[in-house]
Amino acid sequence: MTGWLVIAKREFLERVRTKWFAITTAIGPIFMIALLVVPVLLARLGGTTKLAVVDHSGQMADSLRRTLPASDWEITIRTDDPTEASLLAEIRDKKIDGFLVIPKDALEQGEIVYQGDNATAQVPMAKLQFAVMISRMGAIKHLSPEDIAKLLSVNFSTKHTTGEAASASGGATFALGYIVMFILYLAIVLYGVNVMRSVVTEKTSRVVELMIAATKPRALMLGKIVGVGAVGVVQILAWFAMAIALIVFREPILGLFGLHGGINLPPLSMTDGVVILVDFVLGYFFYASLYAAVGAMVSSDQEAQQAQTPITMLLVLTIICVQLVANDPRATGPAILTLVPFSSPILMPMRWLLGGATGMDVALSFSILAASTWLVAMASARIFRVGILMYGKRPSMRELGRWLRYR
Amino acid sequence: MSFAVAIEGVTKRFADHVAVDSISFEVPRGVVYGVLGPNGAGKSTTLRMINDIIAPDGGTIRILDTLAPGRDAAPKIGYLPEERGLYPKMRVAEMIAFMGELRGMSARDAKARAGAWLERLGLSKWARNKVQDLSKGMQQKVQFAACAIHDPELLILDEPWSGLDPINAEVLRDVVAEQKKAGRTILFSTHQMEQAEKICDEVCIIARGKKVLEGGLVELKRAAQKDGLVAIGFADDQARAKAAAVIADRSIVAAERPPRHGDTADMEVELAPGATVDGLLAALVGAGASVRRFEVVVPTLHQIFVDRVGAENAIVAERSPS
Repeated sequence: MTGWLVIAKREFLERVRTKWFAITTAIGPIFMIALLVVPVLLARLGGTTKLAVVDHSGQMADSLRRTLPASDWEITIRTDDPTEASLLAEIRDKKIDGFLVIPKDALEQGEIVYQGDNATAQVPMAKLQFAVMISRMGAIKHLSPEDIAKLLSVNFSTKHTTGEAASASGGATFALGYIVMFILYLAIVLYGVNVMRSVVTEKTSRVVELMIAATKPRALMLGKIVGVGAVGVVQILAWFAMAIALIVFREPILGLFGLHGGINLPPLSMTDGVVILVDFVLGYFFYASLYAAVGAMVSSDQEAQQAQTPITMLLVLTIICVQLVANDPRATGPAILTLVPFSSPILMPMRWLLGGATGMDVALSFSILAASTWLVAMASARIFRVGILMYGKRPSMRELGRWLRYR
Repeated sequence: MSFAVAIEGVTKRFADHVAVDSISFEVPRGVVYGVLGPNGAGKSTTLRMINDIIAPDGGTIRILDTLAPGRDAAPKIGYLPEERGLYPKMRVAEMIAFMGELRGMSARDAKARAGAWLERLGLSKWARNKVQDLSKGMQQKVQFAACAIHDPELLILDEPWSGLDPINAEVLRDVVAEQKKAGRTILFSTHQMEQAEKICDEVCIIARGKKVLEGGLVELKRAAQKDGLVAIGFADDQARAKAAAVIADRSIVAAERPPRHGDTADMEVELAPGATVDGLLAALVGAGASVRRFEVVVPTLHQIFVDRVGAENAIVAERSPS
């Protein structure tokens, strides 16, 4: 067997045998079950808001009470004309969560103001605003809130399609894209850092010279990346298998918690699977090479933590841009982000799943990523070759440049 | 003649200092060969170049007559580096077998040989323990097994005695002798002359990256031996008193000096020009001084080393900061 294979085999077996591997592989599905169950559970919880309504117009308070569900809102209509100061005092004393002041001219353009300790909560505030709109509309047009609710209820839904396969619901596709992106990001960081630590161990345990005498530095680096990556592939495949089982047996599992419903994930096609796998393998190689080079530059784990900052920045930058892809996968921004090699492996599968990319886009993205992964791996191998035998001071940028040019 | 290692005009520069300066030497097959020198002389750098860990800037290296350092030579070399460690979390037997596989053995052979080596070193019952469970001395034995598991024709040991206690140093010398008997070539570096003296057949002394001296241990000693220096030990004080007249005779003895530290002789004398060892002995016997010890002083390797390298060189030989 050639050197890199022997090394890959060792790295793989050493990891797969550990408790750490068993635990993380097992925790994956628990995490996924939580993903399935927790949103359903949370939707059931949610506290009630104690709301005081001061209605100077005298035309909206009653319909507000009928619009806002009593399970979430505990409404008292105040006719004692309290001052703002006294209402604020009530909030301080936790007697109420907030108060809504409706001025006399509310039906014209008078400002309706809510003040409360939960004014930053997006969902309750949106519901409150909606209820205020309905009540005001009803007062102007002399309609009951029930009539308006009837007028507003339209049977409308979005379905995601690229014009080929059967379409799934837009929300579920979005969730799938998000989950895949997140797993890719997590796997690349997790296993990339693992490669770096493995390289650092090589130096701290002083075993490296023994290794380099028996094989080439390039084989050592390749073996480590492949060995650790194989662990990643095995783990991800195990997770996907469990995820498929979870989706198939979704109802019985939710039933165990006395629930039903939950997120309805659309099925993944073979093409989707290939895109995800290729992006994982290339992205992992890209980042693992960088991490390996960093590992070779430093002499201790602590130093490695600092030295990996530039790589972390690339990954954080990628995660910041996730929202751009999520908002509109067809826009120019996401198109560029899925071509740039450091963000494309994480963002491309998401953009692809959300239907923002054509086959040509994916092919171009793969080509750029493959080419730059090759370049990065070659450069890292050069740094690795020199750095792996160095102890002590971390190299400056200029020294790194010199290492790259060594014969 | 067939050589295990032949290096010619090899040079290695680091940044602004020359670590190895045009060194040449040849290691015949089947000998124990010591590369000796003070710290920073370039010993490790030379051994690293033979192992293709670093590339020389000039000169040629041939291994087992025909091979260049690198892929083809690697399976035939066992290398114990100065910076030697093991994977702390790996099982002992697996660690040794792993190094064998890296040197080109099949997994099954490597496993069997690892077991045999552990038995040889008395570590069989530790085979399934993790490396980190072993004492330092045991780990050193495992390191040796890991570097010799593939039965290499050439063993290269860099400062093998550093950090070994006298017992383990003895074990290592035994193993080296055993390997030599089995027809292998052992090339090692050290700055510990006493260790080298006990097992070397041939030596090459280097200092500041340059070769100072090379040759068989016996020939070197013989060449450095001064016929005129004799160590004498007397039976008792009476004998010493009787010998005083002979020692004072400037036609026989040119000078007298106290014995070396730890030596059992009573004195060392330098013969006068024209005087012989036989003559001195006859004179002493004639004076009735009974002699317990009478020996022409043979210089130790350490003395040769200090004489040739120079006391100053032995201490300094600094690396310039890079």
